[in-house]
Amino acid sequence: MDSLIRDCDKLAKHQSSAMNKAISAVDACIRSLDEAREKYHTSDTCTGNSLVKLSQSQEIVSEQLRELYNNVNKYGKHVEKTFKMDLRVIAESPAFDGKREELAQAIMLHFLRSGDFELARRFSLDSGAKGEECYSTWRQFEAMNDMAEQIRAAPDHRLDAAQEWAAANRAALERLGLAGLEFTLHRLRFLQLVETTGNGNKGSGGALEYARTWFPRFERDPDGHMAEITQLMGVLIYAPRVHTSPYAAMFAETRWAEGALEFASAFCAVHGVAAHSPLAVSVAAGARALPIVCKVSGILRDRSSNNNNSNTTATATATRHGMAEWSQQDELAVEVPLPDAMRFHSVFACPVSKEQASADNPPMALPCGHVVCKASLDKLARGTRPGAVASGRFKCPYCPGMATAGEAAGVHF
Amino acid sequence: MDKINVEHMLAIEEPFMKVPLEQLKREVRQSQKLAEREMQQAHLALAGLAKKQNSMDSADYTEALNGLISRLVALKQKLEEAKHKEAQLIQRSKQRATDLNELNDFTSTTQPEFQRWSRTRLERVLIDYMLRSGNVNTAKLLMEKGNLEHFADSSLFALVMSTERELREDHSCHGALSWCADNRSALRKIQSSLEFDLRLQEFIEMIRAKQNPEAIAYAKKHLTSWSDTQLPRIQRAMTLLAFPPTTTCPPYRHMFDVTRWSDLAHEFRQVIFQLFNLPSQPLLYLLLQTGLSALKTPACKSEDPGEHNRNCPVCQTDTLGKLAQSLPLSHHSNSNLVCRITGEKMNEDNPPMRLPNGYVYSLNSLTEMSRKLGGKVKCPRSGETYYLADAKKLFIS
Repeated sequence: MDSLIRDCDKLAKHQSSAMNKAISAVDACIRSLDEAREKYHTSDTCTGNSLVKLSQSQEIVSEQLRELYNNVNKYGKHVEKTFKMDLRVIAESPAFDGKREELAQAIMLHFLRSGDFELARRFSLDSGAKGEECYSTWRQFEAMNDMAEQIRAAPDHRLDAAQEWAAANRAALERLGLAGLEFTLHRLRFLQLVETTGNGNKGSGGALEYARTWFPRFERDPDGHMAEITQLMGVLIYAPRVHTSPYAAMFAETRWAEGALEFASAFCAVHGVAAHSPLAVSVAAGARALPIVCKVSGILRDRSSNNNNSNTTATATATRHGMAEWSQQDELAVEVPLPDAMRFHSVFACPVSKEQASADNPPMALPCGHVVCKASLDKLARGTRPGAVASGRFKCPYCPGMATAGEAAGVHF
Repeated sequence: MDKINVEHMLAIEEPFMKVPLEQLKREVRQSQKLAEREMQQAHLALAGLAKKQNSMDSADYTEALNGLISRLVALKQKLEEAKHKEAQLIQRSKQRATDLNELNDFTSTTQPEFQRWSRTRLERVLIDYMLRSGNVNTAKLLMEKGNLEHFADSSLFALVMSTERELREDHSCHGALSWCADNRSALRKIQSSLEFDLRLQEFIEMIRAKQNPEAIAYAKKHLTSWSDTQLPRIQRAMTLLAFPPTTTCPPYRHMFDVTRWSDLAHEFRQVIFQLFNLPSQPLLYLLLQTGLSALKTPACKSEDPGEHNRNCPVCQTDTLGKLAQSLPLSHHSNSNLVCRITGEKMNEDNPPMRLPNGYVYSLNSLTEMSRKLGGKVKCPRSGETYYLADAKKLFIS
């Protein structure tokens, strides 16, 4: 890539000089013809002179432009070499046919989740997709976005709205294991007070008073905020010069963005909506899956065209129409590696048969703790696999442990 | 798994890099052709003038020179414009390459810089979709908000949309034909019959308007050059002269059918996309389809809402879930276990623990819970309570 960018710079330089030369050559012609027109009465050689000039210019122009064209092509070859994959190898999928409305809605929700309400309105106008009045989540997201932006971006980083919301939804947050949000918001507010009012010994509204009002509630908190509270109180010794104190890291600017993020994801959890835009997650997963699907489609297409050559037409057509159409299969042909954050469901693949577990073929745990699928377990018990001994007792394929089918227990991930 | 496979990431960006490049090639080729033709003609004219100079009267001579000069001035103007446009396209190519090159600096998908990059990619994928589907105002706003004009191929899609509209609504081949003229050699290379199809349509319209002599003259001029490859269609076209537009004879009725204009619009889009190596579906479709497929598991299809995960795109039953309905499931030859309580991955570092009732959760989540509940754990699915010590560690190979 670096060399491609260097080539691009070179091309830019060459383009400007080639075009300048060509233009000034044309310009020289124009001037010479101008002169011929002026001097027509005084000299009879000037037309001839212009003709010579024109021939010269013609040569310059065609040479410069030819060379430019060659250089553009050379750069083009470099680009083509770097970007070889042709996305058109994958067959067009009919999966979205007749689902414009659902797609539009997914895009709308993405805009709402990202706080782009203006974009959502514009898109609904443009595409005729359902508008504001049809989204129960519209107001929710607006409120969430307002509160998160107040924390993150407002010049005085206002926390009160978010705190009010967290207090009102305390039960729900606790149920979801997100009770820590309230403490996070109190911590941010406390640090803000230390920053603005010092250690707050003088009267009300200070950090100390704030701590005495709010922190005791968290002292018996099972989340164990006591250690953190101790640390926060330590900050007071250094107020107001906190930024040069050992606690400076607690005042990093990023704390506002982190706090806003924690608030937004708790808000989403309480409302039962996805923490991240599902459209963005899908597209990110697609960026990993698409090259793999393309590669497999390309290989299958090549294979089927080879089959065609060897004249086994019937199977070849079957391959072309069946196999190459990735989207018509029940299951993708290969595994797509996704980051852990994009794994939302447990999938158990039997280490013996490599098959995915299902309701008919559930995972079973042996007494030793190793897990295999029911079908594999039955085979082991029937003694059809190596490692089996008589009387239904068999050795675990992964450790020396012995088991019978009856000792295996069902597992629900 | 959090690593970034740069090679794969770049592989899907072919159209992103290809469009400005192809536009640049066309621009350069066109200005080269124009300049050569104009210079050659100027040369011929001036040479003729030089020969006749002595026998011409001065007014004629001056006028001839003026004509020449203004042609060259026009050429110069055109070259100036081309210079500007080309420079812009080269700049665009560089900006795109530079953006893609940033991928080499990222080490993990969890890095904030990578997430910012991914956001921008999503925005340009959305802009591409908006431009292709005619949601021009949304596209514009997206570009303004993200400062992404240089990542969007607005001019190309504007051309496609306006030409399509002209074909579909105005029933005019004008724009499409002039585009064909500018791209004749490229069209020949891909053996496209688009230009013939457009000419044929104009011919049909003349017959519909009962201008038979004009139609015959038109066919002589524009259709005969295609006789090598399109002879049967030319013959059928000529036979059309014998039928009135109200005919019920199938092949000819079909030729008079006005829906042919929509077919032409569609064909135009296919051909221009092919020349620019653009997939016929927007990149958003390709990414969503393969992405949803890679995320889709049997649990997403379950009728039991308890199996769904609110964070999973395929579990969004009203929107993306419907889009994923007919797509393949993901393929797994290795297990991937996710704790129901924390959403964390279960592996050697955070092993799966089986409660006596058969339900499995991660060690981390159960430890945390037992700390809060005084050594006990409560199964969130069945409500049963056990001691943490009752949970049995599982081994997943």
